Amino acid sequence: MPARENFNDFFEKELQRLLNPLELKRKKLMQYGINGFVLLGLAIILFLAASSGQPAAAAVVAFLVVIAAIILLIIYYNKKKHYTAEFKETIISEIICFINPSFRYNPSASVSRGDYDNSGLFLQNPDSYNGDDYTEGTHGKTFFCFSELHTEYKVSSGKQTSWVTIFKGLFFIGDFNKKFSGRTYVWSEENPQLNFFNKLFSSFASNLEKVKLESLEFEKSFVVYSNDQVEARYILTPSFMERLVKLEELMGIGISFSFVNTNIYVAVPVRRSLFEPSIFSRNDYKSLEDYYNTVHIVLDIIDELNLNLRIWSKE
Amino acid sequence: MIIIIVAVLVVIILAGIFMYNSLIQKKNAIDNAYFSMDVMLKKRYDLIPQLVETVKGYMHHEKDVLMQLTEMRQKLMAGNLSTNDKVELDNKINSALQNIFVSFENYPQLKASENFLKLQGAINETEEQLAASRRFFNAAVNDYHNSIEMFPSSMVASWMGLKHKTYFNIPDSMKEVPFVTIN
Repeated sequence: MPARENFNDFFEKELQRLLNPLELKRKKLMQYGINGFVLLGLAIILFLAASSGQPAAAAVVAFLVVIAAIILLIIYYNKKKHYTAEFKETIISEIICFINPSFRYNPSASVSRGDYDNSGLFLQNPDSYNGDDYTEGTHGKTFFCFSELHTEYKVSSGKQTSWVTIFKGLFFIGDFNKKFSGRTYVWSEENPQLNFFNKLFSSFASNLEKVKLESLEFEKSFVVYSNDQVEARYILTPSFMERLVKLEELMGIGISFSFVNTNIYVAVPVRRSLFEPSIFSRNDYKSLEDYYNTVHIVLDIIDELNLNLRIWSKE
Repeated sequence: MIIIIVAVLVVIILAGIFMYNSLIQKKNAIDNAYFSMDVMLKKRYDLIPQLVETVKGYMHHEKDVLMQLTEMRQKLMAGNLSTNDKVELDNKINSALQNIFVSFENYPQLKASENFLKLQGAINETEEQLAASRRFFNAAVNDYHNSIEMFPSSMVASWMGLKHKTYFNIPDSMKEVPFVTIN
């Protein structure tokens, strides 16, 4: 795997060349967007004018401007979809290939709903499940996959329906280095799912018990539930707990882990969309380095948690 | 007035029942943890003959230690020992195993053997599971101690005649780091 310092060279030699034709397309696309939004603004002004004393002529012009704006914006969103797809296929694929040519990337796929459900990290059943930028591969001895995910549930009150986000961010699955048969969950203390009642009646999911661990620092950041007290401690050794605390410092508060079916599931909440190219500003070195760093976060999870250490019976 | 006195009595009786049950639950949790530790120890003892069989062809200088290890295992498996004797023998097995594990470094041929590598994985796993079950035992004892020392459950505990239990002393070297590592 190339060192992070080499990304600069890679950018100069490879990415810059691929970016140039995309940059022309981005500028054209940006023009459609600007024109569409300007016309929409103009139409609003004209409608205001029409409603304050200049009725007929202004209303007709405003109507025509609205139609023009709508056409431009439809073209803009359509072209944006194509541009984004092309950008991901060209640039993101190339960055992932640079990190490790054996990694596979599919911009339109995501971690499966089955895997998301198996993780057991989220107590609320989602009504909407979306995701993209699926990547999988083997880092050292550890098979992993991840994608961006956004899951929501519907809340209806009367005729109004609103959507509430359950999870938005990076969802990672890795092959854990120890064998186990139970279920262990490590939730951030800040997790909104763990409200007062859930904590009080800790068996909110079937057969789970709260696991009290020795590390005060760890207990400050996380709350652990498991259906096997010994196995939870087998997974969460003192040094592994330290690593989880360190990982939380690295990734930010809200990160959660589960250990199910000999896999480790990690949910890293991220507010912004990952791997989405910007339209109204140039995709420069800084933004491409951000994509590169995002993929590295996943490899950092594997390295930080020492998942490549295979000294137990699981190979 | 009578109603209030009855209500207070009912609350006291219910609280007493709740504390009594909670203490029994915590006492049983220790037994349960002890049992899981016993299972892990048995798993470890089951690995000893396999270990001796795998390494005896290579480790000529440690023949005596290997023989002692086999004898100690046989004594333990016979099952007619008191708890104190059991703990003492288990400690001896521990130190004998550690001596053997340290000596592995002197036998590169042994470390290259596939059988040995598989066994190494199984030993590491058992040792860490054992460490985990000891930690669980200590957590259960800690929980139990909190209950028998804190007011008002301490009153119920002294009425029940509950005594302190001994923690397992886990040496740092046994907390998690497996004895054997793969280079």
